[in-house]
Amino acid sequence: MEPLTSPVRSAHPEGTAYGTVLDAEVALSFSALDAEYEAIRERAALLDLSGERIVEISGSGATDFAQKVLARDVEYMTAERCMTSLVLAEDGAVVDQVVVWGREDGLLLESSTGAGSRLLEHLRAHAGPDVEITDRTAEHALFGLEGPYAWGVVGRLIDGELAALPFESVVDAQWDGVDIVFARTGVTGEYGYKVLVPRESAERLWAKALEHAVPAGQQAVELAMLEVRQPVVRHEAGEGVDVLEMGAGWLVDITKDEFVGRDAVVAAFGGKAERRTVGFSGGDEVPAPGTPVTVGGEKIGEVVHAVRSIGLESALGLLRLPPDLAAAGLKLTVGDTEVTTLTSPYVTPKSWSTPII
Amino acid sequence: MTLDELRATAAARHETCAQIKKMIVSRLDLPIEPAWITDDQPLFGRGLELDSLDVLELYVAIEAEFGVALYDSDMSVFGSVSRLADHVNPTLAAPALVDQA
Repeated sequence: MEPLTSPVRSAHPEGTAYGTVLDAEVALSFSALDAEYEAIRERAALLDLSGERIVEISGSGATDFAQKVLARDVEYMTAERCMTSLVLAEDGAVVDQVVVWGREDGLLLESSTGAGSRLLEHLRAHAGPDVEITDRTAEHALFGLEGPYAWGVVGRLIDGELAALPFESVVDAQWDGVDIVFARTGVTGEYGYKVLVPRESAERLWAKALEHAVPAGQQAVELAMLEVRQPVVRHEAGEGVDVLEMGAGWLVDITKDEFVGRDAVVAAFGGKAERRTVGFSGGDEVPAPGTPVTVGGEKIGEVVHAVRSIGLESALGLLRLPPDLAAAGLKLTVGDTEVTTLTSPYVTPKSWSTPII
Repeated sequence: MTLDELRATAAARHETCAQIKKMIVSRLDLPIEPAWITDDQPLFGRGLELDSLDVLELYVAIEAEFGVALYDSDMSVFGSVSRLADHVNPTLAAPALVDQA
């Protein structure tokens, strides 16, 4: 499968830095990380989500199939809703974290960045003859708007009424005579919206949106995700890591009778956990994954993933620890640095106190 | 702190978090086991998917069960179970974080 590239790459600002995330080439940053982060946390940021594959599930068996492959319950999901769910392998390993978009004639699954090929392969392996799995990525572009004032950009760019839609709404709308699919959903804890636009109109919409919002790349987005404890699967999942260890139990619904990976999840919920994940901050150096966590020289865990948080002005990351030590408010040593474990969210989104007017 | 002291500190937080989870499930009549809620799980929007009416119910429940009035608090109090634990049991409070609000 061809690696994904942005359909609006030629319209990206000069100096954009690119990198590969799994099967996608994405814009890591469009300008300075601080400025992009500030746009997400203080104003409005424009995201090019071209690294996320759009997969259509259709056919007479679409709903049953979706119920089987998604870890959350979509049986009564309407065409006006979307939700986030994990997709699991039989052994409970995380295949991907997807946004499920309800549609009149089936469902759209939006993969996480760069994970679309793996998702497609998994879906096709589980599909029966009454289900069609179609990769629609090449027909669209997907953009995001996030920030405490992203609602204002939606109003100026598309339609003010869309800005105040309930969380996780999906509507068919029009932008400048073009049919689009619009969703109120995001990943940074701020007001978040997504627009699925036909590819032939993508560059025009991107250029127009740039008049109102600052483009933010993958690095700024993943930092903002971590600050509100939004999972980034490629950093947090791994061999032998179940959804509870990952701290993503809220992205599965074990009251559902059946889904791929359910037995493993039920066993994890009912078993004795060996490790749990908790956030930490401290120090200027960003520790690498696997850096030991110690107390009095005794190793008790390790770093899962860490970055430098602009909001906290220090290293911020996740630790995997024994369950009896996985709690906020503890002073631990990571490498040679003293850190403190945290309650989430690690940075409070400004949108939580910013009304839509 | 020694490992045993850290375990005791963690246990105190886990106990308060467990009380909060039990209260949420009971007061809001959620069809889940309290232990299924994780300490860092978002309570609103994505996560436990509580809404503004649930907040009102939780204000009342928290005052009744913990003797703490949170009516004038900002929404960050409900950022997660663990964050709520800092407010209903201030002896647990983790170091102050950056508040963007």
